[in-house]
Amino acid sequence: MTARQMKLGAFLWATGHHIAAWRHPKAHVTAGIDIDHYIQLARTAEAAKFDMVFCEDAAGLREANVGIASQTSRSIGFEPISLLSALAVQTSRIGLVSTASTSYNEPYGLARTFLSLDHLSGGRAGWNLVTSASPIEAANFGSTGLRPHADRYERAREFAEVVARLWHGKLDGASGHDGQSFSVRDPLDLPRSPQGAPVLVQAGASDVGRDLAARTADVVFTAAQTFEEAKAFYDDLKGRLAAYGREPDDIKIMPGVAPVVAETEAEAREKYEELQELIPDDVGVALLSSYLSISDLWRCPIDGPLPELPPSESMQSRQALVIEQSRRDNLSIRQLARHFAGARGHWRIVGTAAQVADELQARFEGGAADGFNVMPSYFPGELDAFATLVVPELQRRGLFRRDYEGRTLRDHLGLKRPV
Amino acid sequence: MGDNARMHLAVSLLSGIADPGVEAEFSHLASFVQKAEAAGLDMVLLADSAPASDGDAANSPMPFEATTLLAALATVTSKIGLVAAASTIAHQPYNLARRFASLDIISHGRTGWNATMAQNPRETANFSRPEGFSSGDFRRRTEEYISIVQGLWQGWDADALLFDKSGGRFHDPEKMHLLDHKGEFFSVCGPLNVARSPQDAPVLVLSGLSEPDLDIAARTADVILLDERPIDDAKAHYADLRRRVAACGRDLDAVKVLMNVSSIADSKPAAVADSLEEGFRAKSCDGFNIIMPAQLSALDDFVDLVLPELRRRGLFRESYRGATLRSHLGLAGGGGQ
Repeated sequence: MTARQMKLGAFLWATGHHIAAWRHPKAHVTAGIDIDHYIQLARTAEAAKFDMVFCEDAAGLREANVGIASQTSRSIGFEPISLLSALAVQTSRIGLVSTASTSYNEPYGLARTFLSLDHLSGGRAGWNLVTSASPIEAANFGSTGLRPHADRYERAREFAEVVARLWHGKLDGASGHDGQSFSVRDPLDLPRSPQGAPVLVQAGASDVGRDLAARTADVVFTAAQTFEEAKAFYDDLKGRLAAYGREPDDIKIMPGVAPVVAETEAEAREKYEELQELIPDDVGVALLSSYLSISDLWRCPIDGPLPELPPSESMQSRQALVIEQSRRDNLSIRQLARHFAGARGHWRIVGTAAQVADELQARFEGGAADGFNVMPSYFPGELDAFATLVVPELQRRGLFRRDYEGRTLRDHLGLKRPV
Repeated sequence: MGDNARMHLAVSLLSGIADPGVEAEFSHLASFVQKAEAAGLDMVLLADSAPASDGDAANSPMPFEATTLLAALATVTSKIGLVAAASTIAHQPYNLARRFASLDIISHGRTGWNATMAQNPRETANFSRPEGFSSGDFRRRTEEYISIVQGLWQGWDADALLFDKSGGRFHDPEKMHLLDHKGEFFSVCGPLNVARSPQDAPVLVLSGLSEPDLDIAARTADVILLDERPIDDAKAHYADLRRRVAACGRDLDAVKVLMNVSSIADSKPAAVADSLEEGFRAKSCDGFNIIMPAQLSALDDFVDLVLPELRRRGLFRESYRGATLRSHLGLAGGGGQ
């Protein structure tokens, strides 16, 4: 039996995960209207044997302030299901995972669409379930206000249950679904998935989010800055599985990691500083404000500390992470804003391939991760850098595959095929 | 010879695979659409519904939902228009507008949305609306839905994106517009988070029309599909539709009326060409939508035998003159203006 190996996702987003990525001289600034660029990124990730490419999603702008929004590249881009459907027939092995919301879709349509993506790709599709916390999105769907956190998760639980029954062929004319939020009469009109069912991914980190993941998810994406946070999350979530009759290995936990890698540590630092310098202050503060769900952070002195904040209804767990870091490292609003603008609360590693591999190895072997969702700073350069520098180093250490062994996303992830 | 002397030709793929021996694989469908593109057809329409009942068991369903299939086909073709059916019951208007806007960028301006004015009970039953809509409600809802989708497609001006790295200006905020729609059935703020269509807006193809829908179609559609009917009846319908288009203040050339044709398989090529010529010259339509199973043999018969005959008679253009679906159809910018 081969040793346990880590799973890797290539998280594709706009011109890059760094908020100022699009301004970098080597960033592909027209990414959001260039399908060939995405085909190339997917092929790069596939050649490097990544388990999957991953697209996050929101059905609306990211930033309500149009002046701020116009200084980022995140207001326009491809809708991910159409994007991944195009990538499906331009790649042959890599998994294709997209976010889609349980608040603004219906389970029958979502199950059918992802199953179609699964057929187009020969069993390589996955769905990242989100419940949507943004009031900007809500305003595109006739809502007068966001649903409370618990409500959104109750709808999500019912949604996921119906999708699973449809994918598993367990919903038919005799036993349709008639529930609190949804009613469905018929089975899907598409054949069964080539991998049994598309892979189900989740990212909710709150208590109710963790329970939903423990009940239904195959993969969990998470944000954790320190080893201790990552380990605590990992142990907590794996510990919840037994209650649902599942084994620890039935879920793969993949924290986000935002590496900046170069041949030497000095070069990596220089590359990172170059990106940080490109962040306008008002953009950094606005991004931090939206993570903290407060609208008037700009009123506070930018070189002063973060003010005391009321508990948030929308993103409870991530807010706690941000606050904890600002207190721990004694950061000013400007410093915190730049820090978070760069990696959006995910874990940042700046260094050589060996240094990045050391850090990943420590979390992987220390029982804090089954793999990582890699968030390159800008595209295509930083995905290329990870693929050509870090992946070979991980392979040399026996920590990552040298080639695909199976054909489906479930094969890559080592997940059971549902019956 | 003016544009109006040439007919427009589309093929519609039936959603079922008539021959169970033929795998409904993507590569098979890709070959079909590539053949239609080599023949210079205006567009391929992709249906998106299951066989109506078990009575159609001989038709195994295609394993693909139409918008996902369209995205994939867009990457293996470069000229032909690609139109997907998508239901106003199955999708929220913001999501549908966004999906098609994205498809239009993936296809470099070759995408259309086929909306139907007819309510499908199978969809209401599976999309948490088991009671369905009254026909009046459904008509008003569909009209509102279409206006939202077309409005969202205009949310970004064609020159909104600046890509100004050194100046730090990615787009011009003055050239991004909220929709701010509040209506009887929907409220949608907008804008889309997808850039402007390379062809101004995706093409709106309307089908399933009944008499009370005709004014909605005349106001909003780029292409109207009419069911096959006797030639005198068709002429009257066509003239009526054009009167309604003019009454909305739209240019008569802004709407193309295509007649569905489903009976070509049983006829000799010359007879098919005769019948299409007769219908076209009698001013009963602007062209035809040939409905066929997704089989290369069915397309071969039409492309290799009927099409050369139509070209010989000067009824169909020799090749594509532009690269977008709107250019194939001789349409100016987005509909509904």
